[in-house]
Amino acid sequence: MSFDPVELGILWDRVVSIADEIVSALVTTSFSTMVRESGDLSCMLFNGDGASLAQGNFSVPSFTGTGPPTLRHMLRRIPPDALEPGDVVITNDPWMGTGHLWDINVMRPVFRKGRLVAFTLSVTHLPDIGGGGYASTGTEVYAEGLRIPIRKLMRRGALDEDLMEMILANVRLPEMVRGDILANIACNEVGGRLISEFMDEQGLDDLGPLSRAIIGRTEAAMRERIAALPDGTWRNSVPVEGIDAPIGLSCAVTIRGSDVAIDFTGTTPALTRAINVPLCYTRAFCNYAVKVLTIPELPNNEGAANPISLSAPEGCILNAVHPSPTAGRHVIGHFVAPLIFGALAPVLPAQVQADSGMLSQLSVRGETREGRGFSSLFFAAGGFGALRGTDGRDATPGPSNMIGSPIEIWEDATGMTVLHKRLLPDSGGAGEWRGGNGQEIALRNDTGRPMDAAVFSSRTEYPAQGLDGGRPGALRDTLINGAPVHAKGRYMLAPGDVVTTREAGGGGHGDPARRGLEQLLRDARDGRITVEGALRDFGVVVDPGMTRAHRRRT
Amino acid sequence: MLARRGLFNAPVPFLDLRMDLRLGVDIGGTFTDFALLDPQRGTVALHKRLTTPHAPERAVIDGALALLAEQGAGLDAVDLLVHGTTLITNATIERRGARTGFLVTRGFRDVIDIGREQRYDLFDLRLRFPEPLVPPALRREIPERVLGSGTVELALDEDAVLAAVQELVEHEGIEALAVGLLHSYAHPAHERRIRALVQSAFPQLPVSLSGEVCPFMREYERWTTTIVNAYTQPLADRYLGALESGLAQAGFRGRLLVMTANGGSATPETARRFPVRLIESGPAAGALMCAWLGRQGGLPRDLLSFDLGGTTAKGALVRAGEPLRRFELEVARVHAFKRGSGLPLKIPVIDMIEIGSGGGSIATLDRRDLIAVGPRSAGAAPGPACYGLGGDQATLTDANLVLGFLDPGFFLGGRMRLDPAAAQRALEARIGRPLGLDAARAAWGIHETANEDVARAFRVHAAERGFDYRSCGMVAFGGGGPVHAMRIARKLRVPRVILPAGAGVMSAIGLLVSPLRFDVVRSDRVQLDGLAPDGLAARFAALETEAAAPLLGAGLGRSAIATGRALDLRYRGQGYEIEVSLPPGDPAELLAGIPALFDRAYRRIFGITFPGQPLEIVNWKASATGPSPALDTARLAVTAPPRPPGATAGKGERPVYDPAAGAYRPVRVLDRYALGPGESVHGPALIEENESTCVLGEGDIAVPDVHGNLVVTIGGGA
Repeated sequence: MSFDPVELGILWDRVVSIADEIVSALVTTSFSTMVRESGDLSCMLFNGDGASLAQGNFSVPSFTGTGPPTLRHMLRRIPPDALEPGDVVITNDPWMGTGHLWDINVMRPVFRKGRLVAFTLSVTHLPDIGGGGYASTGTEVYAEGLRIPIRKLMRRGALDEDLMEMILANVRLPEMVRGDILANIACNEVGGRLISEFMDEQGLDDLGPLSRAIIGRTEAAMRERIAALPDGTWRNSVPVEGIDAPIGLSCAVTIRGSDVAIDFTGTTPALTRAINVPLCYTRAFCNYAVKVLTIPELPNNEGAANPISLSAPEGCILNAVHPSPTAGRHVIGHFVAPLIFGALAPVLPAQVQADSGMLSQLSVRGETREGRGFSSLFFAAGGFGALRGTDGRDATPGPSNMIGSPIEIWEDATGMTVLHKRLLPDSGGAGEWRGGNGQEIALRNDTGRPMDAAVFSSRTEYPAQGLDGGRPGALRDTLINGAPVHAKGRYMLAPGDVVTTREAGGGGHGDPARRGLEQLLRDARDGRITVEGALRDFGVVVDPGMTRAHRRRT
Repeated sequence: MLARRGLFNAPVPFLDLRMDLRLGVDIGGTFTDFALLDPQRGTVALHKRLTTPHAPERAVIDGALALLAEQGAGLDAVDLLVHGTTLITNATIERRGARTGFLVTRGFRDVIDIGREQRYDLFDLRLRFPEPLVPPALRREIPERVLGSGTVELALDEDAVLAAVQELVEHEGIEALAVGLLHSYAHPAHERRIRALVQSAFPQLPVSLSGEVCPFMREYERWTTTIVNAYTQPLADRYLGALESGLAQAGFRGRLLVMTANGGSATPETARRFPVRLIESGPAAGALMCAWLGRQGGLPRDLLSFDLGGTTAKGALVRAGEPLRRFELEVARVHAFKRGSGLPLKIPVIDMIEIGSGGGSIATLDRRDLIAVGPRSAGAAPGPACYGLGGDQATLTDANLVLGFLDPGFFLGGRMRLDPAAAQRALEARIGRPLGLDAARAAWGIHETANEDVARAFRVHAAERGFDYRSCGMVAFGGGGPVHAMRIARKLRVPRVILPAGAGVMSAIGLLVSPLRFDVVRSDRVQLDGLAPDGLAARFAALETEAAAPLLGAGLGRSAIATGRALDLRYRGQGYEIEVSLPPGDPAELLAGIPALFDRAYRRIFGITFPGQPLEIVNWKASATGPSPALDTARLAVTAPPRPPGATAGKGERPVYDPAAGAYRPVRVLDRYALGPGESVHGPALIEENESTCVLGEGDIAVPDVHGNLVVTIGGGA
C-alpha cells in the first residue's frame, strides 16, 4: 500500500493532531503544577511495531526523545503477545524512562478488532516520588525515591489497586500523585479511541504502511540536509560548574554521508550527587539538537532519530549508570544541545544559536499559612541565545521549554511573596545581534513556617558563550538574604527569608561593533542596555537623553 | 416568550421588538454590509458597499441612507441600529491606537515583556513574539503592594502616582492610561484610588483599571487586556462620537447599539468604557446568526458554525441553541495560527475557532514536500491567479475553479470573470510538477487539504470542550462555505448542513438578533465544602448587579433582564477549571447540587471523574441578557426575480473532477434562486448563487425550506 502526496499529507497531519488531543486531555486533568503551568509533559503515538509516528506539538524536547526507547524497554519486559485490551503499563525507571524518578511513563496498547495496532505513551512529572525529595543532594538512586519497574498498572481495564497502594504509601501528596497517574491513564484512553476511529474512517487495518511513509519521508529529509554538509569531525568542550569541581563535557560530532555520529569521550565521570545523566536523556538532546539544525519544520517522529548515533563512555556523567543519583539530570543534560551547537557552528553558521542562559528551578516544599501542604516548582528563564540575524529574546527558556510561574498563582499556591521580577539590563551578551537579557526574581517565605528549598541551576561560573565574535552573557547568581549560595544546593528557608535568583543572559552573535546605532538607541530607550553598558560592551556613546549615539573614537 | 412579556411590563419601555424597524451594519475589511428588518412587512432587505477605511462612519451613513431610500423611507424611520466594527481589532493589529501609559506595582514593570516564558514553537529558534503596546519608556512603577490575602504590605504612594502621571502626560504626551496592580482582581482599592487621583488632576485622561476591565487572576494576561483597552479607548470614543453625530445629522433618532465579542450588543457608553470587548465582534455576529437559525424549528439545536471567507475560515460550536463562550482570545498573532504567538486577552467572547484557509489562501509545498494551504493569503490584490490581476500563486479559489466547482463566468453573480487557464498554470507550476501530479489532482489535493484542516480544527476544538459533533448540524456561510461544507460534514459524520439565505451578509443579519448583553467574571478561589449558602448567594448578587448595570442604564426594566450564572470549578489541586452553568433559581438552594453538575460536565469532557476529590471554585461569572430580538415572522427578501411559470432551476451541466475516478464527469448545475421550497436536488450537483456555489456530492440531498435556507442531508453512508 502506498500513498500519493495528497493522501499522505492528510493522514500525517491527522495523526499529529491525535497526539495533540491526547496532550490537551492530559494537561487539563493533571494535578501537578509542573504539568499544568510548566508544560512538563509529552504524549506520543506509535504504530503496532513500536515505531514512533507522532508527538504532541507542545511537548518538552527531552521527553519526545526518551519516549521511543521507553516503549522498547516496556515491550522487552512485557512482549506484545502478553498485552491485552485495557492493559496499562507504567515505569519511572530513570534508565528506561526519562532520566529521573519523577517522571511517570504511562503506556497503553491500542487494540482494534482483536489486533494490536498501536501504542500511546504519555509522560508527566509527578508532584512527588518519596525519598529525599526533588533535589540534587541524593547520593544514590535508592535515596531519591520510589523506583517503579515496568509493570502493568491496569489489566484488562481493572486498576491494580495493590500496586497503586504501594506507590501512594511511598509518596508525599498521595492524592495528587494518584490524580496525576489517573490523568495519564485517561488521556491514553482518549488516544486509543481516536486512533481506532481514525483507522475506521480511513479504512486502514494496519498503521504500518502509513508509519513507514511518514518515518521514511522524515528520515529522507533529514538525511538530505546532513548529506549537504561537508564530511568531517567537529569537536567542542564546555566546562559546567559541578558540586565541588568543574565538570567537563566534550563531544566529537562526525558527519559522514547522511549520518551523524556523536561521541562524548573526554567527558567527566559521574558524581555522587544527583546531577548525573542517564544515556536516554543525553540521546534525547542529541536528537533535538540535530533536528533543530536540519529539519525544524517537520513534525517529530522516529525518522528524525534514525540518522543519529551516539556513544559515551560508560560511567561518564552523560552516561551515568545505576545506582547513580539523577534527580537533577537536566541541569547537566540541557548542556548537550549547546555542546553540539558549538561543535557544528563552523559547519552551520547561519543555523547555530549562541548559548542560552537556560533556566533555573526552585523546588519548594512546606505548608501554607493555612496548613495546606505543597510541593511546587518555580521556573525562571534566563536570556535566549542570539542567532545570525536575530536577537535572543529576554527571559526565554532554551533548550528546554518550561512556562514561567505566574506571580499571583505562585503566591496563592505556596504562600511565598514575590518581591520583584525584572529584567537585568546589559546581562545579554553583546553582539551584532544581542543575547537575551536575564531577569531577577526575589521570593520571600511568608508561610510563617520553615520551608525546604532546593535549587537546580547552572551558569554561575561559566557563562553562555557568544558566537562569531559575540560576547558571553552575564552569569547567574542565587542568593539567600543577599548572600550567594550554591546553585545546586538545598536549603531551609526560615520565615521571612528571601531567595533571589539573577538569571543568566544569553550569548551574543557577531561583532558588537557592527550593531547599528539606531538599534542601540532603541535598546537603551527600552532599558535593555544602560548608557554605561553601551559604552563598555559596544563602544558606543549614547547621550543621557537617549536620542543620539556615536561610536567611540579609538 | 416570557422574556418578551416581561419587557412589556417594564417600567421604562426599551424597544418594541415586535414592531420596530431594525438596521444591522457590519463593517468588514473590504465591504460594509447592511441588513434592514421590517417586522411589520416581515422582510429583510440587504445591501453591500465598499468600506471607507479613513472615515468608516461614512460608509455606514451613506449605505444606511441608500438602503432606506430603496425601501422608500428615511433614517428617521429606524428605531434601532446595531453596529459591528473591526475598527478596534484592526487598530490593535496595526498598532494605530493611542499613546498609552501604564502604571504598575513597583518591581513588575517588565512582566508584560517577559510574558509566559514559553516558546510556542519548540524547534523554531527564530520565533518572534508581539511587542507590548506600551513601550518601557511609558511605564511607571508605583510603590504599593497588596498580597493575595488582601493584606496591604505597602501603602499606595499617592504622590508617586501623581508625579508619574504628570510626567507621562506632560513629557510623554500619553492619551490614555492603564493601571495594573498585583492581586487587584480581588482587592481593587489601590487601583480605584489611583483613578480617583488621576481623574481629579487630569480629568480628560481615560483610565483603565485591570481589576475592572478583567478581574482575573494571572497578572500578565490581565494587564495585557487592560492595556489593549486603554490603547483603543480614545479611538473608540472618537469613532463612536463621529458615528453618533453623523447619524443624528442624517436624521437618525433611534437607539444605537454596538456589537461585542460575546455575541451581545452594548450601549455606546459601555463600548467606550470597555472597547477591548469589541475585538472580534464581527465573526461573533456570524456565529450568533447560526445559533439563531438553530433555535428556529426544524433544525438541530447543536450546530457547527462554519464560515469560509476570502482570507480565513472560522468556526464556532453552538450547544442547545447557544454559541459556546469563553473568556479568552488571542489577538495580533505574529504567527498566524500558532497559539501563544499573540497578545492574550481575557474578555468574554464567543469561542471562535481559527482554522486558517480562506479562498485566497496560497497553497505551497511544506518541508515534507506535501501540500499546505495557507496561512499566507494572496488577499484581494493580486489575489488568486484566476483573478487575472497578476497573481501567479496557486490558491484555494484556483483549485476550486479548476475542479469545476466555480463557474468562471458566474463568479460573484457574474460581476467578475475568472481565468481558468491562469489557475491551471499556477497549479501546475507550484504544486503539480514538483509532486508529479496533473493540475486536476493537485487542485484536488489543495481542496481536500483545506477540508481536512477545517475538520481537524473542529475535532480538536470539540474534544477540548466535550462537544459531540456527530449528531449535530452545520451552518455554512461565507463565499467558500457552501463549496466545502458537504465534504467536511462527511468527514465529521455530521448528518445535515444548512446553507442560509443571505450567506454573504450573515454577520449583518446576526446583528439583528443580538440581545443587549453584559458578562462579568471575578477570580475568587473558594473551597466548595467550606462555602455557606448565603456566601454563594451574596457573591452572585454582587456580580449580577454589576452585570445588569449597563442594561439598566440603557433603559431596560429589571424584569426584562435574564440572568445567567456559572462557576469555573476544578478538583482541588488541579490547574484547569471547567465552566459549570447553574440553573436559574435561588443560588443558595443550588449549592448541594453543584458537585453533581460538575461531575457531569467533567465526565463529558474527559471521560473520567475523581470521586471524593474536593472541589474548589476559581472564577465566578454572571451574565445579564436583554430580550432576544425575534426574527420569527421575517423572511429574508429573495433578491432574484420570481420564477416565470414553467421555467426550471436548471442551468445545464459542466465537467467536475471526480477524485475516485481521477477524471472529470458532467454534473448538473442549478440556480438557487429558482428553486422552490421543498424542491429537492440530488447530488452530485452544483447549486449556484451570487456569492457562492453549493457543491453536492454523491448521495447528498438538498431541499430549500420556507425560510430560504438550503437544507442538505449528507448521504453516502456517513
